[in-house]
Amino acid sequence: MTDAANSGRVGADRPPVILYEEVVKRYGGFVALNGVSARVHQGEVVCLIGPSGSGKSTLLRCTNALEAIEGGRIVFEGQTLPTPALAAPVRRRMGMVFQNFELFPHKSALENVAIGPRTVLGTAKAEAEEKAQALLVKVGLADKAASYPSELSGGQQQRVAIARALAMEPEVMLFDEPTSALDPETVGEVLNVMKRLAEEGMTMIVVTHEMTFARRVGSWVVVFDKGRVVEEGVPKQVFEQPREQRTRDFFSHLSWSG
Amino acid sequence: MLEFDFSPLVESWRFLALGLSVTLGLSAAVIVSSTVLGVLVGVGRVYGPRWLRLALTFYVDSMRAVPVLVVLIWTFFAFPLAFGVTLPPLAAAFAALTVHVGSYVSEIVRGGIESVRAGQMRAALALGMTTSQAIRQVILPQAAIRMLPPYASIVTMTIKETAVSAVIAVPEFMRSSEVVSSQSLRPLEVYTVALVVYFLLMFPVARGVDRIYRRLAHLGRS
Ligand SMILES: Nc1ncnc2c1ncn2[C@@H]1O[C@H](COP(=O)(O)OP(=O)(O)O)[C@@H](O)[C@H]1O
Ligand SMILES: [Mg+2]
Repeated sequence: MTDAANSGRVGADRPPVILYEEVVKRYGGFVALNGVSARVHQGEVVCLIGPSGSGKSTLLRCTNALEAIEGGRIVFEGQTLPTPALAAPVRRRMGMVFQNFELFPHKSALENVAIGPRTVLGTAKAEAEEKAQALLVKVGLADKAASYPSELSGGQQQRVAIARALAMEPEVMLFDEPTSALDPETVGEVLNVMKRLAEEGMTMIVVTHEMTFARRVGSWVVVFDKGRVVEEGVPKQVFEQPREQRTRDFFSHLSWSG
Repeated sequence: MLEFDFSPLVESWRFLALGLSVTLGLSAAVIVSSTVLGVLVGVGRVYGPRWLRLALTFYVDSMRAVPVLVVLIWTFFAFPLAFGVTLPPLAAAFAALTVHVGSYVSEIVRGGIESVRAGQMRAALALGMTTSQAIRQVILPQAAIRMLPPYASIVTMTIKETAVSAVIAVPEFMRSSEVVSSQSLRPLEVYTVALVVYFLLMFPVARGVDRIYRRLAHLGRS
């Protein structure tokens, strides 16, 4: 990647927060990531788009070392990522939000948000819950603190999940298709929370099929196909003047052509 | 026409009550110890290193292949010969039942853990938890709720299985019933009462756990 290609990127004047260098990930004989190089700067909202099965979720799971990589390296804040077994201290500095929310069903919304600081940082209960309550207010769920996940709508659960990740005061937030499992009418409430987070300057990597979000909130778009980066650029360029045929193919598959 | 005579039972009620208390005490002790053993073995079989998983699988499979009576008799008669340590009957029964029931508990624990979606572990690890924190805080509490119905069967099975310890003369309820029966020559009455007592013991356990489970089920659904 030349410096010219990165000009105009948010935070590009400083070293990247996350740097991917020729990252290779295999599942048995299957190559899920085939030499991925990319970077994420402070304050950027990097949107990862691309066909299903192209390796977007895999890249996120490698980013916080939930999975080991077989080749290349991932550098977070100047440090090469450790192996998954040793990665707990690094993971607490990154928040992760999942397609299926993955709230803990045996804990109330408040306890879900407080559990990270309580368990990982040893924060006192009262302090952790006070902070958790403030985060629930932030995601618009002040009145749901005592509710269990099974009592919440999908959109509400996902907002609790975002609050849970924020409770660890992460330096980066990783979102894996946060709205794909939601009813259409609750997608907006989650995207709004994410948009506000972006406006506050949070560094974010967002895997999404919400092209409107990628266009309006994203500051950098990375197009994935078959475990490789096909193209990247500012949203305006990628969406309006895609350079690669595979990017155009992907966009044409997105639009409904019945 | 059969004639019932319950007077020998009435005369021996203290003796029988003592037997019943031994049954209950032994059952409670075995349930606690086999639950601890079962959780350790179950967790070890899912998360342990390969050598440990193989060893634990061998333990569980062999316990399921051997009748509890054989384990009990071996513990009481063969163990002392092999190791030169004689166990009192009650201790032998406690050890044999724990090892046997523990293998069944471990299978339930393993099934409960494996039924929790992989994403739950990922979510816990993503917060920065260690694997053992994730197991204790996130996986086991959910698994425990899902385990309740089969665990209730194990509890009732355990209470019933304590009856086999009569063969090594542990003075539990079955043994006391045998004694009263042979002294009074009234086996029909004695064993009818034994049957009713065992039933009255089991029934609330099974029903009670069932009710608790229905109240908690939603907390274990991820
Ligand atoms: N744990 C796994 N074991 C085997 N194959 C996997 C695993 N996870 C993902 N894959 C494969 O890797 C490829 C990329 O998957 P994924 O990263 O989930 O794609 P995306 O998120 O872009 O849809 C897919 O073909 C998928 O089947
Ligand atoms: Mg995916």
